[in-house]
Amino acid sequence: MTTAKITTVKRLHEYLHAAMKIEHATIPPYLTALYSIHPQTNSDAVHVIRVVAVEEMLHLTLAANLLNAVGGTPDLTAPEFVPTYPTKLPDGEDDFEVSRERFSKDCIKTFLNIERPGKAADEASRIVTMDEDAGVSMLATVPGEPELRFYSIGEFYTEIKRGLKYLRDELHDDLFIGNPARQVGPEYYYSGGGEVIVVTDFDTACEAIDLITEQGEGLGGGIHDDENELAHYYRFKQIKNERYYESGDEPGHPTGPELSIDWDAVYPIKANACVDDYPDGSELQEAALRFNASYADFLRLLTRAYTGNPQLLLGAVADMFRIRTTMTQLMRNPIPGQHGVNAAPTFEMPVLVGAAA
Amino acid sequence: MIFPVDAVERTDHETASTNVYDAVVVGAGVSGAIVANELSKAGKSVLILEAGIGDGTLESYESYVRQFYATAFKDNQSPYPPNADAPMPRGPDARKIRPGQPDASAYLVQNGPFSTDTTYTRVLGGTTMHWEAKALRMLPQDFNMRSEFSQAQDWPLGYDDLEPHYRDAEREIGVSADVEDQAYLGMTFPEGYVFPMRRIPLSYLDKTVAAGIDGTRVELDGHHYELKVRSFPQARNGIPNPDYDGGNGYAPIGAVSTHQVDEGGRCQGNNNCVPICPIQAKYHAGKTLAQALQNKGRVHILNKTVACKVHIDPDTGRVTEIEYKSYGDPSSPEHVVGTVRAKIFVLGANAIENARLMLASGLPSTSGLVGRNLMDHAYLLSWALLPEVAGTMRGTNCTGGITDLRGGSFRRRQAAFGVDIHNDGWGWAMGSPYTDLINLVDAQNRFGPALRRDLIDRISRQLQLAFMIEVLPSESNRVTVDPSYKDQLGNMRPVITYNIPEYTMRGVAYAREFARKLYQRLGAADYTMYDPTDYGYVSYEGVGYVIRGGNHLAGTHIMGTTKKNSVVDSNQRSWDHRNLYLVGGGSMPSIGTANVTLTIAALCLRTAQQMLRDLDKQAAPRELATH
Repeated sequence: MTTAKITTVKRLHEYLHAAMKIEHATIPPYLTALYSIHPQTNSDAVHVIRVVAVEEMLHLTLAANLLNAVGGTPDLTAPEFVPTYPTKLPDGEDDFEVSRERFSKDCIKTFLNIERPGKAADEASRIVTMDEDAGVSMLATVPGEPELRFYSIGEFYTEIKRGLKYLRDELHDDLFIGNPARQVGPEYYYSGGGEVIVVTDFDTACEAIDLITEQGEGLGGGIHDDENELAHYYRFKQIKNERYYESGDEPGHPTGPELSIDWDAVYPIKANACVDDYPDGSELQEAALRFNASYADFLRLLTRAYTGNPQLLLGAVADMFRIRTTMTQLMRNPIPGQHGVNAAPTFEMPVLVGAAA
Repeated sequence: MIFPVDAVERTDHETASTNVYDAVVVGAGVSGAIVANELSKAGKSVLILEAGIGDGTLESYESYVRQFYATAFKDNQSPYPPNADAPMPRGPDARKIRPGQPDASAYLVQNGPFSTDTTYTRVLGGTTMHWEAKALRMLPQDFNMRSEFSQAQDWPLGYDDLEPHYRDAEREIGVSADVEDQAYLGMTFPEGYVFPMRRIPLSYLDKTVAAGIDGTRVELDGHHYELKVRSFPQARNGIPNPDYDGGNGYAPIGAVSTHQVDEGGRCQGNNNCVPICPIQAKYHAGKTLAQALQNKGRVHILNKTVACKVHIDPDTGRVTEIEYKSYGDPSSPEHVVGTVRAKIFVLGANAIENARLMLASGLPSTSGLVGRNLMDHAYLLSWALLPEVAGTMRGTNCTGGITDLRGGSFRRRQAAFGVDIHNDGWGWAMGSPYTDLINLVDAQNRFGPALRRDLIDRISRQLQLAFMIEVLPSESNRVTVDPSYKDQLGNMRPVITYNIPEYTMRGVAYAREFARKLYQRLGAADYTMYDPTDYGYVSYEGVGYVIRGGNHLAGTHIMGTTKKNSVVDSNQRSWDHRNLYLVGGGSMPSIGTANVTLTIAALCLRTAQQMLRDLDKQAAPRELATH
């Protein structure tokens, strides 16, 4: 049996850094799918994906609060904070890859995998040994034991919870020693569903973790979380089934109105595009580099916000509008020489020094 | 906020006409929605007749947003398709009126002499579907115009009577404001009160203006007034105040939809609040209707159903039924006629339509005041360029302004006003930013970087001040009907006779000078120009001004103390027809300098309590059908 116990604060910090990385890693794929949809079309799908993306940002913020609470320092500018896509997320039986790709049935299938509920069958299978697929980027490996990874994101957070409990019993008042001024509270953060939780002790830490996992996969096998909000998995199911869930529905039996999806009202963007896909010196390449530079700036801003300047998050709303504008600019433009394939933002971090025009 | 998916479809005309409801409400705007919500909360059955289209789905809301984005002329009604069966006034309708020749070219027949471009919206949600959502309370002195200033008449109730209902209204429509900013000119709040949400922050433009003028003193009628840029209370979702409701906080109401959609819980700063917030962070009456549809009392809604006649029992004066015309295709005159019955009847169709319906039913009331005393705030716009870039065009539409001259002893002689600083620049006055772009490209041949630079230089320095000026009631300003002017369904159209009173014009002239003074302080270049060919052009003491309508319609069935001096009592109940309530702006005997919606909401919340007392007194005349 493989075990990965969190027994030191250092290891806990590694886990929470990894948590921030996981929460962020879903955002470029969700935003890419969202903005690949033609403007003013597919209202139903746009609302579903947008809400999930916004809540992933809430999860990112909660993970930062958790890390800050136990004396860590969030850093979204660290090397490899943004994965290289396609990347793998932790999942047990069926390995799947997450790509930055256009809105499509395949992409929704991937999103369902990301948010998929379910516990590992037993204690032994919570953590699985990684296969030999060295060419693919890997997330949520077990910190300190890079050949291991968790069955699901839920299991990963369960481990953090266990570690917090273990360390609380060991260290008592010396665990939650973080500066409370670094906590992001509801006055600085709004997500639409679920409120940001200020983490100051074991109970609030568990609340934050529960919010993250329930918003993803639902509470106790139901479709809703603790706040009667539909879980991400079932939100995406609505797109797949083209029917809404209503309050009180059982999983698999949506009874709400139909969604109307137009799978063709989508820009045909290149999946997992990288800067090298665009002709050297082309306007497209310049725009892609500019986008990466501005996204790097955005991650720097978030790092500052999560390290004592939470008020910066209020202004970050305007940055999200700018990110949308620059992403859609790229997606509207075909790549020269690649018939019928459009450009897309590449999210390649860190930005090469001097590369941006 | 979930709007039950079949709420509009599940009511058919046959069901509606066989039921006897506790209340029939005409109009699904803010008044009708609040009345329906309060009555159904208490278990009463309510039927709402809405003349226009609308069904509470996100799809229909987003179709309005799309229509607004796509249209070239973005007036207040641009999101809403033309509807010949329930027509509405539209901004571009107004024409200069030649004396003796009424302009009947659009829905409102305008007798003049002043040609108003005022509007109201006839869709589910009413005029809250285009309003700006400023939610100011009236000042205590506004209720006592006769006793304090020898003008107009006093209300039959005062600020203190309405204050608790103002608080309820601030919860119902979700107001963002800080008490510290709003306790001025006598407005009081109970100890410990906070608004549901914190104030919407002042814009950079507001702060730029504040830096130039805060502390400036002006003298008027022997008194000194110190000016200050102050934040406006707004029915737009901001950051909830955790201290609200004794520490229980407040949960903002987001977008209305027939399925779960998490949107609109906070204002995002999109700058097209007027006419339509793309994410529904701005209150509209659909939010209250959605609530009403989930109450224990049954609420039925019939849309595309135009109330056309109020029937009266000649012996008792009581309303027996309301006759309606219901259409399918808004472009076709085809319709069916029916009647609906209830224990009480509520007309909540706005000041012009309420009066139109009463007069078309031959019910001018004992006082003869139905339709008279039509009021609307007179807007004087003034525009200038600031010496430095001030970030104009960052939303929301309006966050701050100058309110120090909303009250004072000068009101014996001239109108009070509030001043809005418009974050959308010269949009209202000049059509910015679209007209700036056209001018730079077509007339000045700019392109590329030079065009971008000049656009920024020109637009982000724009300052537009909108003076919202008080208009007092005047019996000659009125709504009438005339059988020679009918709409497609054969309903008589409103005929408007309106002039800007001299009291208001004195305020207008003062406002113009006041603007000049502010621009001097700010070092701004005044570009204000009033075109004599404009339909809203008015001369006063040899100087010309252009006056715009405020869409704050009021006064056509004013409340008072007797059936001789008013149409309704302080509960908005008709003196002549005791089971009829005329609700909304029409009941207001004066409007001060507050946008009318918050006061309308407060009055309707108060009135609903009286309606419940009424209903409890009445024995049920017959079994209710169960559907």
